[in-house]
Amino acid sequence: MSIGIRAAIGLNRVAGRVHYRQLKLAAFVSPVLLVLLWGWVSHLQLISPQLLASPLEVASTFQELLASGELQEHLSKSLSRLALGYSLGASIGLLFGILMALSRNVEALCAPLFHAIRQIPTIALIPMFILLLGVDESFKIAIVIKASFFTVALAAYEATRGVSVNYLEVARVYKLPWITLYGKVIIPAIFPPVLTGLRIAFARSWTVLVAAELLVADSGLGQMMQMGRDMFRLDIVLVGVVLTGLIGFVIDRSFKWGEAHLVRWRVA
Amino acid sequence: MRSISSLFSRIGLGRRAVGLILPILLLMGWQYMSTRGATFAYAFSSLSQMQEALRELIASGDLQINLVASLQRALTGLAIGGAFGLVLGISMASSRIIDTSAGPLYHILRQVPLMGLVPVFSLWLGNGDTAKLFIVCLSAFFPLVLATYESLRQVDGKFLEVGNVLKLSRAQQFRHILLPAALPNIFTGVSFALAMAWLSTIGSEILFNAGAGLGNLMMNAEMASRMDILVVVTILIGVVGYLLTFVLYRISAYLFRWRKVASE
Repeated sequence: MSIGIRAAIGLNRVAGRVHYRQLKLAAFVSPVLLVLLWGWVSHLQLISPQLLASPLEVASTFQELLASGELQEHLSKSLSRLALGYSLGASIGLLFGILMALSRNVEALCAPLFHAIRQIPTIALIPMFILLLGVDESFKIAIVIKASFFTVALAAYEATRGVSVNYLEVARVYKLPWITLYGKVIIPAIFPPVLTGLRIAFARSWTVLVAAELLVADSGLGQMMQMGRDMFRLDIVLVGVVLTGLIGFVIDRSFKWGEAHLVRWRVA
Repeated sequence: MRSISSLFSRIGLGRRAVGLILPILLLMGWQYMSTRGATFAYAFSSLSQMQEALRELIASGDLQINLVASLQRALTGLAIGGAFGLVLGISMASSRIIDTSAGPLYHILRQVPLMGLVPVFSLWLGNGDTAKLFIVCLSAFFPLVLATYESLRQVDGKFLEVGNVLKLSRAQQFRHILLPAALPNIFTGVSFALAMAWLSTIGSEILFNAGAGLGNLMMNAEMASRMDILVVVTILIGVVGYLLTFVLYRISAYLFRWRKVASE
């Protein structure tokens, strides 16, 4: 992460108050400049306004979509698909990954198939899933489950495998009951890498969901953008782009904040 | 409890054979579904149909043409996007001004799901190869900026001190100390960028339904409800992605074979 963005979100403070404040301001310079440049180019009308909506136009379209309630509907549709698929995929993946790392039998049985399917990009599975499940909700949720399951399972598997044997030996010497072994040893040890896995899984799920909605959907942010594309309404498309980016950015930052703040004991 | 694999080795099967149980069960289940009447046969095509589809695709040359088109797109995208990413990463790591000004913008733009940009590029660049290539370039560009930047910043301070003692100029410092030290990590970034480029090649081909490519081949098969072709192409995409990463891994192991010696 660059220094500027770190300062802007207050991750690790750069020494010196003044310096820090300057950096914080500097972090906003380039995004603001980009928006100004965008406004200026669209004002010049070198490119037809249909192909380059001005920032103001995008803002007013945003308001229109908001006032008509259309945006909220698309947004809640997309987010509920994401929430359902991601929570299912990530929780099953977490359990499966830990189980595969702890049990020789499960590993011998499942690992080859798991690693083979993992090689296939989720997006390449979209056409197959459409044929198998149709174009309804189940297909979009299944694709999110696939994207999150494999990423989280792999992270949990590798994290659990990486738990130092020393810890487990100490636990055995103290004859810890399994509930303490999990609560106090294994889960705290695998928490940081699993959190990273959860973050990456989220980003992948979000991308693949937007792609699936672009392809076939009756609602959702992706479908809204696709509609804008079909009607040559770049302003609608850009509202969608900004929103999907913003949602991705905010959730990515919250995970990163969690990685930096929730696992303090590791640094100490 | 005795482990399954030791049981297997006792009855004369290799320990690894345990891993074949699930795939074989999966195939048998699939095959069984395909024989359960027309409603299922439409989604679950039988194994012999898939074999036939593969033969048909190779004989007609469809597979080769589309595979070459996809590979070409992924590698061109990696070369163009990767080169820009390398340059931006190097300049962000070596200049504080560029870092503070371009860094935040980079991190914001990176969050936009690339496939979400498909409608924008299709309005700006049309539905053809240019738009697809642009997406692939971006997908290789973003990870490589970060990898280059981070690897250059993580170069051990000791090395830089040696450079200062030798009174190297900034350019010399970069050429003889920073770059060689960071190169192995940058190469890891390249392999990640390649994986992203392959993924977005397939993704953009699925979403822009014009031209040649494995993604287009899949979408046509989907329209025609040809599950046999879909399965063959999907597996091929996985295998090619794996091979690309593997080849790059071997190249990096060969190029940086000095690294192991140096770190010992």
